[in-house]
Amino acid sequence: MSKLGQVVEAVENYNEFVLKEVKRARTDEAFGQQMVDRWNDVKAKTPIGTAPTGLKLPRLALPEIDEAGEITRYLLGEGLPGEFPFTNGAYREMYLEPLRELEAGSYGKAGKNGKNGHARNGRNSPKIAAPKAVEVEEPTRLFSGLGLAEDTNARFHFLTGHQRSARLSTAFDGPTLYGIDSDAEGVFGKIGEGGLAIDTYEDMVRLYDGFDMGSAAFSASMTISGPAPIIMAMYITAAKKRFGPQVVPNLRGTIQADIFKEVQAQNETIFPTEASLRFLCDMIEWTTREMPRWYPVSISGYHIGEAGATPVQQAAYTVSNGFAYAEMLAARGIPVDQFAPRLSFFLDCGLDVEYIALARVSRRIWAIGMRDVFGAGPKGQMFKLHTQTSGRSLVAAEFKNNLTRTAAELMLAYMNGTNSCHSNSADEPFTTPSEEWIRLAAHGQAILLDESGIFKHTMNMLSGSPGMKAVERAVEAAMLEEFRQIEEFGGVLPAIEHRYQRSQIQNAAHRYEQQIYDGTRPIIALTKYNDLKDEMPEVKMVRTPRAKKQLQVDRLAKFKKRNAEKAKHALDKLADVVESGKNCFPTLIEVVEVCSLGQITGRLQDIVGHFRPMV
Amino acid sequence: MAAPIRVLTAVPICDGHDSAINTINLEFIRHGIEVVYLGYHRYATDMVRAAIQEDVKALGISSYNGGHVEFFSEVARLLRKQGADYIKLFGGGGGTITGNDDVIMRRNGVDKIFFAGTSLADMVDYVHKHYGGPHKPFRGSKPNADMQLARKLTEIEDAYANGKKKRPTPKGRKSKKSNHGQTRVFGFTGPGGAGKTTLIDELVLRLLHREPKARIAILSHDPSVVGAGALLGDRATMINSQNERVFMRSMATRGQAGGLSPATEDCLMLLAGSGFDYVIIETVGTGQEAMPFQTGLVHKTILVMNPDYGSRLQLQKIVMLDLADIVVVNKSDQERARTATSEIGRRLDQNKQSQILVSTVANRHRDAGVDELCDLLTEQNV
Repeated sequence: MSKLGQVVEAVENYNEFVLKEVKRARTDEAFGQQMVDRWNDVKAKTPIGTAPTGLKLPRLALPEIDEAGEITRYLLGEGLPGEFPFTNGAYREMYLEPLRELEAGSYGKAGKNGKNGHARNGRNSPKIAAPKAVEVEEPTRLFSGLGLAEDTNARFHFLTGHQRSARLSTAFDGPTLYGIDSDAEGVFGKIGEGGLAIDTYEDMVRLYDGFDMGSAAFSASMTISGPAPIIMAMYITAAKKRFGPQVVPNLRGTIQADIFKEVQAQNETIFPTEASLRFLCDMIEWTTREMPRWYPVSISGYHIGEAGATPVQQAAYTVSNGFAYAEMLAARGIPVDQFAPRLSFFLDCGLDVEYIALARVSRRIWAIGMRDVFGAGPKGQMFKLHTQTSGRSLVAAEFKNNLTRTAAELMLAYMNGTNSCHSNSADEPFTTPSEEWIRLAAHGQAILLDESGIFKHTMNMLSGSPGMKAVERAVEAAMLEEFRQIEEFGGVLPAIEHRYQRSQIQNAAHRYEQQIYDGTRPIIALTKYNDLKDEMPEVKMVRTPRAKKQLQVDRLAKFKKRNAEKAKHALDKLADVVESGKNCFPTLIEVVEVCSLGQITGRLQDIVGHFRPMV
Repeated sequence: MAAPIRVLTAVPICDGHDSAINTINLEFIRHGIEVVYLGYHRYATDMVRAAIQEDVKALGISSYNGGHVEFFSEVARLLRKQGADYIKLFGGGGGTITGNDDVIMRRNGVDKIFFAGTSLADMVDYVHKHYGGPHKPFRGSKPNADMQLARKLTEIEDAYANGKKKRPTPKGRKSKKSNHGQTRVFGFTGPGGAGKTTLIDELVLRLLHREPKARIAILSHDPSVVGAGALLGDRATMINSQNERVFMRSMATRGQAGGLSPATEDCLMLLAGSGFDYVIIETVGTGQEAMPFQTGLVHKTILVMNPDYGSRLQLQKIVMLDLADIVVVNKSDQERARTATSEIGRRLDQNKQSQILVSTVANRHRDAGVDELCDLLTEQNV
């Protein structure tokens, strides 16, 4: 049985355990009383905040139950925010505004899941400090990348003008995503389109110019997987050149680097799967040791969802991919509490009903699996999640409706307790977002979190409605069934080799498309209320001018000429390390000083081969 | 019955967005169209070469991450330059392609752009209406060798599809002498999922590398969907075979059992007499009783096996084990491979026909087993 099969068993066992404990709370009076005491204690210690209207509200909303069995079902079955199994949130407080006046409350400080509660739960109770009245980072994180490094840099400065903290998210152009240099044959038209062009670490220096890369208020996210270790090495080198080597342990952020979802859905992988995974693990091993604040892989369902998977498929493949990485890293001998807290996740959020609880269920399954199968501590049990609203759900016809679609998706994402979030721009069906629409996208989140009172006064404001619970149960059962299917192939990797996930995703995509036109899925202004047969709308297109593309090519030529001799030696050294089987990441950090992305990719492909696409 | 429309579809270089094209491919196939799918992240030159060799009516490109004006225009230019603009160019990219782009692209030679919101049914209709009908004769100056060969292959396929030619009954079939000058013909067969396509592509990589002037032809087969078209997807996997020294043709079985098409034999004859150094033919995944390549056109038959064939009893039923010159156990890094190799080895020994057994891991870069197979196939006087 692969670890995934064990996870299925662990979740089933945990569900049985909860039922038994519910029964015990009803039959064993002393135990029942403990649970009730804890419940009352949590409620008593919940601080009270004040809405601008003067209304007093508890900062944590709990169901109105007073019976020992139901209390036990809640505390063990879904847990308080920030407590195992984390259904209600990986952390507490999250979106709440700081308390205006200091109040004595501190929920459940003495609770610790009840002294005689589930023994294994003991280590999960985070140390609870009184909420600090400091400005925390907002969860808004908008994906951007266009043209050359300096253009994206300008966009970053434009965006962060609207935010307290600098949380940047970087999109790369096609050639960069495929590890190809801008001067390669046939790619000229692609330079700077759909993201920015990076050929050398010097581009990376330009990209984050003006930002304090080592600051606690700065974090960078980079959405790239195939050549991720090379790009990561360039990021580290750029930071070292600007701030000196001591900056490295302070670097915060994440790089996507998710090979599984590339092979299953997104197709941006450049080395054979096995070699890609080796380079990835080399990077994770190094960064989890040397850069403790960095998340070196973002296990992503977004692209699985965008490729057409159903929400259950999306979450099931993503979470199972996560367990597969955990299995690989553990097999390398990396301690679980070194790598598990540094794994993070990325899900799509569309308009299907499953999204009401998709992230909640994913958090729960991850927590149980990591604790009971991998033996991870509390930090390694937390499913830390970035969400993006669905690009696939956006429609070109009467595209301003996309603002509403995105707003609904944002609600769902925040109801699910996402830790960070990207809201799509309404013009996304046409183009890399223009400033006009990306500004509205950023404002959408601010309106929801800052302007409206929905999320800022009370945790659990919308969690746990009967409908949400019904969706949760159905989604959990369906996800476990998907796990069993994957387990039948022998686990995630063998299932990939049989193209199981790919063919499932493709079938779902085809069905989705048919449903649009057979009326099962009405799309407003496209298949319903589409009386306004308008022309193509006038949307400002963001494209990279020819002269800029040429500038990138010229810069690269100069870099290559300047470093020609050194590059040769550096690549030879890299080749030796790769052939030796040693961790090649430290060498990559040296090599990027004198080699371009394409030079490095090319040399690595000579050694390990090319990725062979699966249809 | 009229011959099905053949189109080639692909996604441009540095673009992995294949969700739309996968859905469109499926819909085309359901409506009787044969789709040669080249895959994603593909160069303009590879698309044009493939479209010419496959002699498709139209080339469809799905582009989602920008640069489409340049890319489509480049493909149109290359088609025109070769005199191959009888192949119509169509495509789409959701909302990323604007009305203005469309004007420029059509001026540059693109036939049709499907805008965001076009239904699948409308696309299928368009293809049937505009890309059906007989092939147009080449225009003006002399067509190049690939174009001529490709058209002859089309004529053979169409003659069978139209009922003008019928596959000879086994009785009437003459055993043909393999006499194609220097051309060596290799036939690959075996069950689905054994890795034939990957193995052939790795072999092609080695042949191209070892013999810098060698030219290779590949005739690959995929099954037709009952009552519908076919997805001919081998090109997408055969990354090394998309090369200027390789002529590749994908064929649908069009209702014939046994792993080949009614027109295969005639097509193979044509290829074998066209001056290639090597001609490689691949069947679809075959059953136990299949016995392709029985007419002497093939110099060497290679049976590619998966170690997971089941029990020894199953092994006894595989007819090709008695007929193949070389038996390859691919995926020999799998757990069961050791048992499989020894069981198959014993079976071949009993045959006493000096058949050769090779173990390979085709999807491993620089695999020594594939090197060995390449040596065996290129030895003189084999």
